[in-house]
Amino acid sequence: MAEVDLSDAEKIFIKHGVQDNCREDGRGCEDYRHIELETGLLSNTTGSARVRLANTDILAGVKAELGTPSPDKPNKGRLEFFVDCSANATPVFEGRGGEELAAEIGNILTRTYDCPSCFDLEALCIIPEEQCWILYVDVLLLECGGNLFDVASIAVKAALYNTKIPKVTVSRDEGLVELEISDDPYDVQRVEVQSAPCIVTVCKIGHSHVVDASLKEEACCLARLTMGVTERRTVTGVRKEGSGSLDPASLEDMMQTGKRVGELLNKSLMDSLLEEERQGSKKKPVGFLK
Amino acid sequence: MPTDSRRINGPEDSFDPSVLLVDKKTREKILRDGKRKDGRKPEQVRPIFLKAGIISQARGSAYIEQNETKVMCAVYGPREVTKKEEFSMKGQLTCEFKFATFSCRVRRQYQQDNEERDYSCQLQDALEPAVRMDKFPKAQVNVYVTVLQNDGSPLAASLTCASVALANAGIEMYDLVVGCSARITPSEVFIDPTESEDYKAENDNEAGNGSVTLGLMPSLNQVSAITSKGEVEFELLNKGTKQCVDVCQKLYPVLQQAVAKAVEDRLSSDHVT
Repeated sequence: MAEVDLSDAEKIFIKHGVQDNCREDGRGCEDYRHIELETGLLSNTTGSARVRLANTDILAGVKAELGTPSPDKPNKGRLEFFVDCSANATPVFEGRGGEELAAEIGNILTRTYDCPSCFDLEALCIIPEEQCWILYVDVLLLECGGNLFDVASIAVKAALYNTKIPKVTVSRDEGLVELEISDDPYDVQRVEVQSAPCIVTVCKIGHSHVVDASLKEEACCLARLTMGVTERRTVTGVRKEGSGSLDPASLEDMMQTGKRVGELLNKSLMDSLLEEERQGSKKKPVGFLK
Repeated sequence: MPTDSRRINGPEDSFDPSVLLVDKKTREKILRDGKRKDGRKPEQVRPIFLKAGIISQARGSAYIEQNETKVMCAVYGPREVTKKEEFSMKGQLTCEFKFATFSCRVRRQYQQDNEERDYSCQLQDALEPAVRMDKFPKAQVNVYVTVLQNDGSPLAASLTCASVALANAGIEMYDLVVGCSARITPSEVFIDPTESEDYKAENDNEAGNGSVTLGLMPSLNQVSAITSKGEVEFELLNKGTKQCVDVCQKLYPVLQQAVAKAVEDRLSSDHVT
């Protein structure tokens, strides 16, 4: 991953700060940095979103394609994640350099969305065993400033919220199936994201833990816990990462923190998405100029 | 997925008929009555057979059997890291996890798929805290795990197996890692699920279903790995992890015995002088 090198003294400074609930940028241990979010900014996609959190910048685009459902899930559509780390973010990602990180983010997204109760794939099915929508969710990493997993999941959820799939009408004529796809931009089907999870990464630093770690804080952290949290306060896809280990008691504390923060994060994300939608065409598009 | 051009793969649109067969009875039973097909109690693990030192050419190795789940692990190294750019004053640990092509109900591919790559990463994250990496600078240790037969909880079995193999190889460690997994239903926790009991995203449609796998270093009482699937209630996830920790503590002597037994065998055999 894009990492910074810190001296021992700098690490101790950060650790002591975290211990006293005052981090290097003045935040408390459970505070997020300021998040900027814009949806629907890529016209060639079915849904898109860009999220910027401090220096982390992630763009997510959703493309809907027609395909056949997989044989073991005949009445469900498909959701596929693909993550790409742009070499713009850091030269380390050039060529195949970003592949490992991309696979890691992709795996975590797949795992957190891999439960029928938090993302309804049945709504994406058109004709069981024959036709369904496949949603390709592409995540592009434009800049790294720490906490990539959380930002990626916010971008994905926002892009899915923004996704408008054209309505399909099925007509059967003498055994032949005909699909008619509506070309009316307002005759669309939305994707339900109310219960979709957001990922919260809790980093263990010294004896305490923080959410939304900056690059410097990530350099001090040996073990982190990524967890998907839904609005219903249920947990999807927990995973410990890094080369450190955790005490069972502090593991429980970290999960508690993750759940609490995740609930708030989901709520404020949905609020901002609704607010943006309410503004409608009155809102001035920002795009990439800022 | 990249296909292997040197091997003849089946037609692309063929699939194994067994994906259409779902052991509904076991699933329903576990969900509705809280009873298991093999008559185990919810917190009861399957009997374990564990032996270290079974592959003579490897530096260390181990084999674990939990009824129908059978896993083998070999450890090679420490050996020199040849690539210049991968130079590190700390040692490196690489893990490769592979399901044998015939090990699951559906045939696996020769090449590592996404799930296997993910398991490899998790194994590495779980074993690294236990291994003294500073003891073999500029060198790497390779851990190869092959699942011969999968009947649920393959990751937990691999964790246990790999840590015993590492100890058997004489790699200095802080502690062994014991793996344990649990199936979480909306109301209860079942330890050490079999394949038909385990959570599957395509069959468990209701919220509250999932599974969790935990790796514990028992004498340090540190969790070195935790991973979960599905959507579960926080309280039950907590309960599940606690029960897994307890089970791991209870399994610890089994691992110690296996490691000690392998040392005794080596000392009494004629090969070592």
